[in-house]
Amino acid sequence: MSEDVKNPNYWKSLGELARNDEYEKFVEREFPENATELNDEVSRRSFLRVMGASIALAGFAACRRPVQKIMPYSKMPEDVVPGKPLYYASAMPFQGALDGIVVENNEGRPSKIEGNELHPSSNGNTSIFGQAAILNMFDPDRSRKVRKDGEQSSVSAFAKFCSEHFADTSQNIAFISEANSSPTYNRLKEQALDKFSNAQWVTYEAFGEDNALEGTNIAFGQRLRTVNHYDKAETIVSFDHDFLNPAGDNNSVQNTKQFTDGRDVTSPEDEMSRFYAIESTFSLTGSNADNRLRVKSGEIDLFIYALAAELAKSVNGLSAFSGYTNKFSDHEWIPVLAEELLENQGESILTVGRDHKPALHAAVAAMNVALNNAEETVTYHDVPHIDNHNNNEAFAEVVESLENGNIDTVVLVGTNPAFTAPADLNFSDALSNAGQVIHLSEYYNETSKLANWHINRAHFLEAWGDGYSYSGTRSIIQPQIEPLYSGVSEIEFLSTVLNGEKPKGYDLVQHTWKDFYSSDFKAQWRKALHDGIADDTGFPTKSVDISRTFNNRVSDFLGNASTAEGMELVIRTDSTVFDGRFANNGWLQELPKPMTKITWDNVALMSKKTADELGVEEAGLGKAEVEMIAITVDGTTVEMPAWVQPGHADDSITITVGYGREGVGRVANKSGFDTYPLRTTDNMHFASDVSVEKTGQMYEVACTQDHNTMEGRSLLRHATLQEYREDPHFSSYESSYDAEMPGVAFAEEHGEDDPLSIFNPIDEQEYPDDQPQWGMSIDLNACTGCGVCTIACTAENNIPVVGKREVNRGREMHWIRNDRYFDGDVNNPKALHQPVPCMHCEMAPCEQVCPVAATTHSEDGMNQMAYNRCIGTRYCANNCPYKVRRFNFFNYTKEFLTGGDDPEIIQMAMNPEVTIRFRGVMEKCTYCVQRVNRAKINRDIETDGATQKPEDGAVETACQQACPADAIYFGDLTDPESEVVKTKKNNRNYLLLEELNTRPRTSYLSELSNPNPKLA
Amino acid sequence: MSTDYQYVPEPKLVKGDHTFGSITDIIAKTPLSPTPKLWYLAFGVANVLLITLLGAIGYLVWDGTGIWGLNNPAGWGWAIINFVWWVGIGHAGTLISAILFLFRQGWRTAINRFAEAMTIFAVMCAGIFPAIHVGRIWVIYWVFPIPNQMAAWPNFSSPLLWDVFAVSTYFTVSLLFWYVGLIPDLATLRDKAKSKVAKIAYGIGALGWTGSFKNWWHYEKAYMILAGLATPLVLSVHTIVSFDFAVSVIPGWHSTIFPPYFVAGAIYSGFAMVLTLMLIARKIYGLEDIMNIDIMEKMNLVMMVTGNLVAFAYLMEGFVAWYSGYIYEQGIFWLYVVGPYAWGFWILMFCNVVTPQFLWFKKIRRNVALTFVISIIVNIGMWFERFMISVASLATDFMPANWDYYSPTLWDILTYVGTFGLFFTFFLLFLRFLPMVAIAEVKGVMPQADPHNYDEETKEFDVSKTEPVVVQQEQTV
Repeated sequence: MSEDVKNPNYWKSLGELARNDEYEKFVEREFPENATELNDEVSRRSFLRVMGASIALAGFAACRRPVQKIMPYSKMPEDVVPGKPLYYASAMPFQGALDGIVVENNEGRPSKIEGNELHPSSNGNTSIFGQAAILNMFDPDRSRKVRKDGEQSSVSAFAKFCSEHFADTSQNIAFISEANSSPTYNRLKEQALDKFSNAQWVTYEAFGEDNALEGTNIAFGQRLRTVNHYDKAETIVSFDHDFLNPAGDNNSVQNTKQFTDGRDVTSPEDEMSRFYAIESTFSLTGSNADNRLRVKSGEIDLFIYALAAELAKSVNGLSAFSGYTNKFSDHEWIPVLAEELLENQGESILTVGRDHKPALHAAVAAMNVALNNAEETVTYHDVPHIDNHNNNEAFAEVVESLENGNIDTVVLVGTNPAFTAPADLNFSDALSNAGQVIHLSEYYNETSKLANWHINRAHFLEAWGDGYSYSGTRSIIQPQIEPLYSGVSEIEFLSTVLNGEKPKGYDLVQHTWKDFYSSDFKAQWRKALHDGIADDTGFPTKSVDISRTFNNRVSDFLGNASTAEGMELVIRTDSTVFDGRFANNGWLQELPKPMTKITWDNVALMSKKTADELGVEEAGLGKAEVEMIAITVDGTTVEMPAWVQPGHADDSITITVGYGREGVGRVANKSGFDTYPLRTTDNMHFASDVSVEKTGQMYEVACTQDHNTMEGRSLLRHATLQEYREDPHFSSYESSYDAEMPGVAFAEEHGEDDPLSIFNPIDEQEYPDDQPQWGMSIDLNACTGCGVCTIACTAENNIPVVGKREVNRGREMHWIRNDRYFDGDVNNPKALHQPVPCMHCEMAPCEQVCPVAATTHSEDGMNQMAYNRCIGTRYCANNCPYKVRRFNFFNYTKEFLTGGDDPEIIQMAMNPEVTIRFRGVMEKCTYCVQRVNRAKINRDIETDGATQKPEDGAVETACQQACPADAIYFGDLTDPESEVVKTKKNNRNYLLLEELNTRPRTSYLSELSNPNPKLA
Repeated sequence: MSTDYQYVPEPKLVKGDHTFGSITDIIAKTPLSPTPKLWYLAFGVANVLLITLLGAIGYLVWDGTGIWGLNNPAGWGWAIINFVWWVGIGHAGTLISAILFLFRQGWRTAINRFAEAMTIFAVMCAGIFPAIHVGRIWVIYWVFPIPNQMAAWPNFSSPLLWDVFAVSTYFTVSLLFWYVGLIPDLATLRDKAKSKVAKIAYGIGALGWTGSFKNWWHYEKAYMILAGLATPLVLSVHTIVSFDFAVSVIPGWHSTIFPPYFVAGAIYSGFAMVLTLMLIARKIYGLEDIMNIDIMEKMNLVMMVTGNLVAFAYLMEGFVAWYSGYIYEQGIFWLYVVGPYAWGFWILMFCNVVTPQFLWFKKIRRNVALTFVISIIVNIGMWFERFMISVASLATDFMPANWDYYSPTLWDILTYVGTFGLFFTFFLLFLRFLPMVAIAEVKGVMPQADPHNYDEETKEFDVSKTEPVVVQQEQTV
């Protein structure tokens, strides 16, 4: 601990205040060596222990306030008032792109991440990875020490080693780094390449943007980043591009915001964009498509070329494709798509998934230019820090040099190629030929174990840094806490390698930023810190022209177009653990994957037809066990469970990576199956001629939704835009069921106009005038189904991770769940997403049946749980038609309250505003009552007790705040001007199970789609 | 038309050539003779099961309700099924002793003591479940309206609270009724017992009974009043238990047919359980003359009637589902029939709809072995009825996204099996130490108790054929 820490501003106990020897020992005991040796099976208790350990360390923050001056964000109390959190702007780096965030900091502990409203790629919202980053920081399995050849060492020893070892500047050094947009990092990178004459630098991302950059290089002769502006488009065509999913696109938060903006419909007069998805697996993005076509990934190039050939008949610039025909040329979609794209020139987007070959990106870029979309809906940007070579090829070359013994020193920054590198490169073996291997990483992972030096890395919440967003907004990353395990950030690491001594990250970043500001550095720095963005930054837009060599290249491509027959394999990033980097995060592991609702595992997805051919049965109600299949590509076999995904392309199997880790962390180990062995340099993302067979083994998969159809019940109401225009009230009960709502006729006879509405005059008498009346509405047309609401709620409300076994038993604790229904043909269904929190019914069935009155109604119209009064009969949950109540069947939270090394600190690590629930009590969504009450108290003070009604927008629930689609509205129903009242007056508004007369305060706006009638 | 009416004599309720004395002897023999080895064996087995129950409850309290197979849609599982099942069984005793008493059904005397004991022990077994199934057992007393520093009352609109009152009242009244009925017989045992301990123990229980006219007069009045009090309870308890389901909004639960359907089902299962136990006991204790085939047939008739009432209720559920036009009710009925728990439904249909139809045949009604088999099938069927109601309705309710499959764990099974340990521990103690037939009452339905000395067969008065009433005085003096 540094000197500054010895004088904490806040003390958490009298012992600490007194700072006696005994206490010193106590504090030091916090990280005993054997804490990492808890060897467990995948069981409830082990995950509880993990949760406990994760949280245990959070409390350490109390005595680890950062040293350098950081600026609080807008809501700044006069000074730190215990109990009042501070909010700091920062940014979260992910695959070389920053998302702006605001971190809630409770007395020196970061406890919650929100989006930064000023930041263009965030707009105040976050992705699931952003929400889960807090738990990554408090992960006890992160590496806690510097290791030299596996033995404990220190940063100073490493610095000493560097000053000696790197004195020889002519040695052959290979730097292998993850993608990083930091100007400081890239400044140091330039310095390194200057200093070491025989150094080479490779950026290795298992799932990076190289194919896309290569594509623009082919089309335009420059490596440019493509930025799509989905809000400006009338027509969007996506080829296997999962752009709404953070695992499929680095800019997913902004994409989601723009995509939903372009489809926002408040009245029948409004227009919405039309979205076509052509893809193999049923992706989150594809589930939001108006028209979706199943095509094997290996044949998507054929489809793109056929479309280009069709467009070439009408527009200039695609002459290379003229006259080309293939099996898709006669497809019914081609003329329809072409017609619509031609109608919407300059207002359409074509986009292709980053995993696809550069040729496809080039063809799509050429089509965008030909359709005048470039510089309108699609912009191309020069990104200064992107390497000028193809990194996938460069990486393979470096590994080859390694194999040949031509590399003296390998410096790996953050990346984990021993786990993620293409299997045929034999990276691990090659690495052993290097003289020295130095690896900076957050975990002591597969690559670290092969390294001579392992340096434990600081989390981005612990260290200074900077970087650019996807479209170039520059931000500073502020530490929220001293590094828990004295980790080193990547800029500090690189500087140590260069200079032989560990600098302060703060100085490195400031040094870089001094170049950005010619005058008044101090004020501008402070403003950038405060706002979380530097003003007027962004990558410059490049105007593009089709390169002269493009036509020649295209004829090559057309000549080499796929002839993929037989079974294909698609290898993708996982929706929750990405490429494996989030595998040790319990929140993400337990978050159901958006389309399959599977937790804790990866599976092999296939269509019903393919499954039938393989003789694989579908999982379902009461059948958690599924068959294992063996997938063989080029002699390598991986066994994993098979899962039927309605809407998947036939003769195609999708698998995800990132699972099956060993010796990394207690959460990651033994979850799922390692699929990287199937991935080779030739088959980075797709493989054809795959052989698949059943092994005869069975495997239990923890899926949170066993039944996938709505059974004809109008729970999730949806219509096409056309139908909505014809009948704007299609979402009413009468339209949905073709029958009058039960009880309406009776009520009318008795002189009540609108008896079943939440604005019932009877209710006004029940609720006091000075109280707000809370309500929520969820716009299903905006919701994409990403699941960030669930994880935001988990972080805000101290919801425990229960583990695979408990999830499998149907005991997940999520307060807001995301239901996903399939509708229509089993082979090509429509998927619908519906987030379901507590409805806060005015006539709540749960309240009536509790024998001890533990669940009651508040004056401001919320259905409350008094945990201390609850005896746990579970009658309320039984009687809840929406089944949103969650029961603590075991003491899910006790183990992390009293487990770990310092229970006192564990208790401090909770969100201090939310109480912890004991075994045997019921819990459920509270409408974030802690946020509501804070706002009410503030309002009460502001108005001298005149009113407790916060102004509209003053309270945001955690789910609402995180939602990138802005699908959730929350506010005071007594305020006729509030956003929530406006949405509730919309004719698409409906109540879930309205006929039960529970009078829910949460309502839904029905979903719309805009399919092309010609493809119906 | 013929006017040749003939008097059809009722068959004798007690078979064989018994005197009051021989009746007293065969019944009082068991408590007063040394304990047979077989009893020890049975008691040992029951004790093992009882310890299993205590162990299962102990682990439950220690670790939480998570040890059971409960999940999010199915918040109630075997615990509530077992509760309803045991309470249902507990219906036969009070029905036999109270309602049949008021209707002057003499045949009840052969089985009423036995059935009442069964009732009390069954209600004890039932009462365990609502108490232990809650998440926080240590504050279970909050369901009672006890004034407290929190000034918090229970929620009087909750059917679970009504349950608390209904079941505890039923238990109290049943116990009192049983005990009052026991008093004259305890006096008999006191008088016949040889050992001093037994004399004192039975003497305390007999409350100083002398057999005087005044004693009898008070006794008869008290018995009558308690019968009157117990009669509505027979109907109310299961009605209120059914409210746990019927008052909710869940399809498959929310049904006005539940109260009568539950009461009929309870009597059905109660009679089945009495038959099961009776057919064993009469054999072992040589009580074939008292618990005879005629009585078994009468009980089979009650089972046939209530069984068909229950079957009718199932049909009505289907009809109502169709007729109501309510898609969720239709959905749940359809799911019963073909859904994930269809196997349970068809077991139920076989046990509760098909099986009672065999009882239309007199030969089967009077066949001990077949009756025994049927009585067991009926109890299995009634367990599955509660299983379908509790679990299947919850597991597949309004929103298909919530549907989940419930399956029990080892602990569910051990707890259920354990309650048989509790039941049989008490029941064996009852058989061993108390008169299992109401001695005084049986005598009341014997021909000897009818002192007009008129022989129905010879149509003559024949003083020699009957014993004088004096016998009764001999017994108690």
